[in-house]
Amino acid sequence: MNFSRREWIRLASSIGAAHLLPRRAVSSQPQPLFIEVPASASGINWVHENALSPSRYLPEALGPGCAFLDFDNDGWMDIFLVNSGPSDFWKPPKPVRNALYKNNRDGTFTDVTEKAGVAGAYFGMGIAVGDYDNDGWPDMFVTAYGKCILYKNNQNGTFTDVTEKAGVATPGWTTSAVWFDYDNDGKLDLFVCSFVDYSGVKKLECGNNQIGRNYYCVPRVFQPTPSFLYHNNGDGTFTEVSKGTAIAKALGKGLGVVATDINNDGWMDLFVANDTVQNFLFVNRGPGPNGRWKWDEIALQSGVGFSETGRPRSGMGVDAAALKGDSWQDLFVANVDHEMFSVYENNKDETFHDAAQAHGVARATKLLSGWGLKFLDYDNDGGVDLFLANGHPDDMIDNYSMQVKYKEPLLLFHQGQDGRLHDVSEGAGPVFQKDFAARGLAVGDYDNDGALDILVGVNGGAPVLLKNNAAKGNNWLGLKLEGATCNRDAIGARIVWKAGGKLRRRLKTSGGSYLSSHDPREILGIGAAPQIDELEIHWPAPSKQVDRFTALPVNRYLRIVEGRGLQGTGQGPHDPSASQQIL
Amino acid sequence: MGWLRPSHFFFVTLDQDLAADMRKLIFLLAFTLGADVWPQTPQTPQQLVQDAIQKQQGGDLEGAAAEYKQFLKLHPEATAIHSNLGAALVGLGRFEEAISEYKIALRQSPALNEARLNLGLAYYKMGLIQEAAVQLAKVHAQDPANTQAVLLLADSYLRMGQEKDVIRVLEPEEQKHPDDLAIAYMLGTALIRENRVDEGQVLVERIFRHGDSAEAHLMLGSAKMNVSDFAGARDEFAKAEGLNPNLPEVHVLYAKALQFTGDSDRSVKEFKAELAVDPFNFDANLQLGAIARQEQNYDQAHQYFARALKTRPGDPGVRYQLAVIAVDEGNPEEARRMLESLIKESPQFTEAHVSLSLVYYRLKRPVDGKREQEIVQRLTAEAQAKQPGVNPQQ
Repeated sequence: MNFSRREWIRLASSIGAAHLLPRRAVSSQPQPLFIEVPASASGINWVHENALSPSRYLPEALGPGCAFLDFDNDGWMDIFLVNSGPSDFWKPPKPVRNALYKNNRDGTFTDVTEKAGVAGAYFGMGIAVGDYDNDGWPDMFVTAYGKCILYKNNQNGTFTDVTEKAGVATPGWTTSAVWFDYDNDGKLDLFVCSFVDYSGVKKLECGNNQIGRNYYCVPRVFQPTPSFLYHNNGDGTFTEVSKGTAIAKALGKGLGVVATDINNDGWMDLFVANDTVQNFLFVNRGPGPNGRWKWDEIALQSGVGFSETGRPRSGMGVDAAALKGDSWQDLFVANVDHEMFSVYENNKDETFHDAAQAHGVARATKLLSGWGLKFLDYDNDGGVDLFLANGHPDDMIDNYSMQVKYKEPLLLFHQGQDGRLHDVSEGAGPVFQKDFAARGLAVGDYDNDGALDILVGVNGGAPVLLKNNAAKGNNWLGLKLEGATCNRDAIGARIVWKAGGKLRRRLKTSGGSYLSSHDPREILGIGAAPQIDELEIHWPAPSKQVDRFTALPVNRYLRIVEGRGLQGTGQGPHDPSASQQIL
Repeated sequence: MGWLRPSHFFFVTLDQDLAADMRKLIFLLAFTLGADVWPQTPQTPQQLVQDAIQKQQGGDLEGAAAEYKQFLKLHPEATAIHSNLGAALVGLGRFEEAISEYKIALRQSPALNEARLNLGLAYYKMGLIQEAAVQLAKVHAQDPANTQAVLLLADSYLRMGQEKDVIRVLEPEEQKHPDDLAIAYMLGTALIRENRVDEGQVLVERIFRHGDSAEAHLMLGSAKMNVSDFAGARDEFAKAEGLNPNLPEVHVLYAKALQFTGDSDRSVKEFKAELAVDPFNFDANLQLGAIARQEQNYDQAHQYFARALKTRPGDPGVRYQLAVIAVDEGNPEEARRMLESLIKESPQFTEAHVSLSLVYYRLKRPVDGKREQEIVQRLTAEAQAKQPGVNPQQ
């Protein structure tokens, strides 16, 4: 019996409680939604080294992050993979390095790490990609236990370590980071999550577990630390500006961060997932009377700081998106097993309610520990879906837990007509029947077919590249937004589009997931609609300009520059006769 | 309690003095009331009571209760008959009526220990463990040699989590009755729960000397739980359950071990199995209530929590869960009242401060919300300061 992709989606959505089916029982699904691309096909032979030791030092368990980025501006997404490295608790017996893979535009990649000069030198964790100098070339900030590195793109396939010169040499143990323009001055600033204080206690070993070996200390035992906010001075340097603000006062154990705008006031806010202490929701109030930027930390009162029973959870991955396609950002946070993940729906008054039960997310994630994750429209039907990468932090958990495993399955949720997220993993393809020690997760269209692909970083293993097979038959429009007066990456831009009689909105957020960075382009899925009838780009401050377009053709990428409209085509077929209007 | 769980109620037979009093009473009744008092029955009052007792002993509890009531309409001062009626009503499962009768009897004769023991038993059977313990403690104080009272009292304390009281009550008994396995079991359990594992281990071994028993495995499992050997505990509880599935708490302890070893589904089944044996088991009701709340099945959660509160009235954990439900259901004012009361009793209850802060903010009382938030931050910092990662030498 064959299902079309659409039939399958409809069927899977109607099942709703697909998790009730015995796992691994469904094997006859004819059309996998995602197809695992083996290293032999992609050429990605790099493997993460987690530095696993008998002492079980905690940094071993947390990496790696990964990214889709177009470092050479050829219009094809390349891949960056973060590796561990020398530290005060580990001296690699053989060289380990990050990996930068150039996209060969034929489904394969070439390792260009050495030439690019991005091998790294520290115990790397994650990556945040952003064009901080507005030169049109993506730069990279790599977090680490030990020392971060800011790689400036030299526009010639190489990078230069400008960390010290730029003033972003961040101490301690940093995890996720995010580029965003908090003061709307048109330049990307940088927020860096700091995890625990591991400096004075690095020899701390957490007892013997039930099989008589050391296990990874629960982060609860370590002291929390404040995160960092760097203001972009516009001259290639940054100033750390969190002092005296709620960001410096909030001692956390940050693992995930997303920059979004939860109250639609035009200032980008930050949602930070913390491990074993409360999450933080830093709301950007704009310039304060004392010259300092004003941030309010409102996680508790907004209902996203603690579990429903008042307990801090083990927050790891986060993301934000308007699930209903309206202008209000909802939040997601993944936790450790038995804590369940949360889908925080926006109450439109700076408070949220957890709808994980209603979405079927709570039950599906009860036994899982979530790291990388992303809201995305994987089938281009216009609805916001969800991808989760999971894995328990304790590599020995299988020895003393009946149900919780170290390696865990990937989960895919599809948003049905009822507006709910339904677990469709069972029928999403063979890769969803496998288990991984997944950590970072990046989303990007590496083959420029308009369908978002997935890259998963695996602790102590090879990355998993998933080609999207789910969006065939649905129309789409890809946008490469380029700020002119606002930040070049157009983070904070609002996209409004109408197709097939449906009006949808999207905020160009930044960050999200865990330790990872994503394709900066926005793909608008429109299902069977033949064209985008209307498109508005609301550019962030300082211009706040709105560019409007009508009757745009589909199934191609378009480059739109703030105030200048369509600027030629990116990849995919392009119809130059398409009408455009800039108002 | 397995072999301790009361499977029947004590029947209060009239002792010699009471019987003499009763005969006197019946004689007076017969003498003074005249024939029109019993126009529909040929029985004398004495015959009526004797008939009722015979019916009760023969298992005709309805008949016995009817005749006791008939008698008491005319002679409500007949203390022993109130007590006997209570016993018949207990047998019929009409606990509230029975308790009412026992209370009348005790008002008339406060020293009537048998009636008090029966009152305690009725409370126990209803799951009102705290009320049962109050009555059983009075019986024990008045009659320290009453073994049934002391065992039931110890069991009530165990169910309320008052292990120190179990030890206080049973340690002297254990010296007097070193071969009593019931005492060894309960005392051993309490000692292990109080982390006096070595002393508890002695009692475990004593039980094992009488052969492989469910009770011994249960105690061993408890000891392993205490040292976080959850897999070991799980295996011991599984053996205990296999040997005696009706052993009190075997399912709930097994369920907890399964929870710790990550088997949530089986854990829920075991909690439910415990409730099938003991509908008022506190932990099973609390855990199943919390799961129901988590799944937003609030009606079911309320039912579980109500039963948990019967066993441990005022338990802060259960009341907190109910407050969380009030928040979830959009009743912040009700939640506020519950949380304020909880915090007044337990100022260090961090989770309650978190929820109260949230509730104040929802009620547009930001000053109060901020105050609670600061308390949360202080308590969190205090807890963090005790962690070994902050003070590595610890």
